Amino acid sequence: MFAIVDCDNCFVSCERVFRPDLNGKPVVVLSNNDGCVVARSNEAKALGIKAGTPYFQLKDLFPGQEIAVFSSNYELYIDMTDRVMSLIRQEVPEFYRYSIDEGFCMLDGMNFLDLKEWGEKLHQTIKRCTGMPVSIGIAQTKTLAKMASHYAKKYPGFNHCCYIDNIERRNKALELYPIEEVWGIGRQYAKRLQAERVTTAYDFAMKPKSWVRATFNVVVERTWRELNGDDCVPLEDLGKKKSICTSRSFPGMVPDFETLRTSISNFAAHCAEKLRKQQSAASIVSVFIDTNHFREDLPQYWNWAQESLLTPTSSTQDIVQCALRCTQRIFRQGYQYKRAGVVVAGICPDTAVQTNFIDYDSERYEKKKRLDEAIDKINRMNGSETIVLGSQQYTAKDGKGKAGVFRDSIKHDFRSPSYTTKWSDIPEAK
Amino acid sequence: MKDEEIFKAEVSTELELPLYDAIAAGFPITSDYPAERLDFNRDFIKHPESTFFVKVKGDSMKDAGIYDGDLCLVDRAEEMVHGNIVAAYVNGGFTVKYLDTSTKDEGFIRLRPANTDYKPFIVDASDEFIVWGKVIFTIRDWRNSYCLPL
Repeated sequence: MFAIVDCDNCFVSCERVFRPDLNGKPVVVLSNNDGCVVARSNEAKALGIKAGTPYFQLKDLFPGQEIAVFSSNYELYIDMTDRVMSLIRQEVPEFYRYSIDEGFCMLDGMNFLDLKEWGEKLHQTIKRCTGMPVSIGIAQTKTLAKMASHYAKKYPGFNHCCYIDNIERRNKALELYPIEEVWGIGRQYAKRLQAERVTTAYDFAMKPKSWVRATFNVVVERTWRELNGDDCVPLEDLGKKKSICTSRSFPGMVPDFETLRTSISNFAAHCAEKLRKQQSAASIVSVFIDTNHFREDLPQYWNWAQESLLTPTSSTQDIVQCALRCTQRIFRQGYQYKRAGVVVAGICPDTAVQTNFIDYDSERYEKKKRLDEAIDKINRMNGSETIVLGSQQYTAKDGKGKAGVFRDSIKHDFRSPSYTTKWSDIPEAK
Repeated sequence: MKDEEIFKAEVSTELELPLYDAIAAGFPITSDYPAERLDFNRDFIKHPESTFFVKVKGDSMKDAGIYDGDLCLVDRAEEMVHGNIVAAYVNGGFTVKYLDTSTKDEGFIRLRPANTDYKPFIVDASDEFIVWGKVIFTIRDWRNSYCLPL
């Protein structure tokens, strides 16, 4: 039996813990650099604000509406969600954090409990201790639990916890569930399925297995099995991402290679750090650059480049170098760049790296590994970007030398205080 | 019945024994002698997940020994009852006060200051009000204050 615990409108809820006056009001949180809406309160959703709406369009699209707007405050969100996850961990035999705001609980060994009651109580504890509302879905498989958590969110009658505990309830849940919402069914598969008149999860689950196998692939078949109550998504697949992307919109426009190169270095270094955090290595590095499509008066350009590595790596040096080679290939003078990003893919566990005899040098490999470990440790203890590569440093304002790190280049005009992680920012009480 | 039994020594775990090479005089110095130390976080904060800090502004709680600039540790998991000092959110701001629920049945409660210059604040259904957490400790920085009573 599995439970998924999922924070409701996570970022918005974090902000509201310290701004209870915003309960019941439309609230949105913007992406990095205040680009577009990434989190919405239920009231904001009800107004019709879509995820991804560019910030600058909000006023025009929703005139006269009072919408509370926040820049992303990841320091706060991470501290608050860590608290939530820690509370969950104390309640279950085994827990697997899946993302910043959700995690799976393995409930085997606690079947003697009334799980529905247990879930409702867990929601109450988390709400009381952290102020964070969560939804809990409980079912036989992870895919079904995901679906249950959706119902827990949608229908107040469930008291934040939906438990799919028998076949009738499962079938009912499947019938009401649109196929495109099923965990593991991407947009592309959903389209193909809809073309086959499969519009609900139930339609899909009722298809013969042989048809699913012949028409799609193992991954889709796995989802089909999960919907039919057969637990088959391995735990190891949950925590690790298949690709990692670091991308940003720039606060202004970037016309020159030097600045773009610095940003790309930072994105690539971030990807490498994330890889090491999940004990993975990547074999594909790609870079994309993009101009501002809202500026119709300016020439537009978009391009991307990709490079495969012979030996998968998580080394900052290797990934940054690779990303910069890609950038060099696609950069064109004469455009105003607004957005860029680095994606690493072809991810495998770093313990099972397939080495290549052409470029593999075990001594160098070990050295880089130790260097990265040391840098990670220093950056963890003294704040991120304490130690960076030379290529990650922006040119100082006077144009001489290198200065100013990554963080300073991010725009966040509506950032809330870091209430829980900075002495200077803790709330004042009169 | 055998007189003696021979047991195989259990050596699967390692036992590290400190080696003192100079016991000539005095007591051996060993870093692992007192195994546990006092740890404020571990010993005083029962619920790290639900404990938050707020900074006190003003002197409305001075008779309770809470002064301007003090840090309050607030635990949201603690049960809050009549008479406790709580951090509450009232009409747009946080406040630290005594929670007085004695008039609950009459449809309002009071947030009472610990300072005769201030009046109790009456909270009824028309107020935006949340008891946010219970004050469990205050921390004061004495370093730069004049400490001798006047």
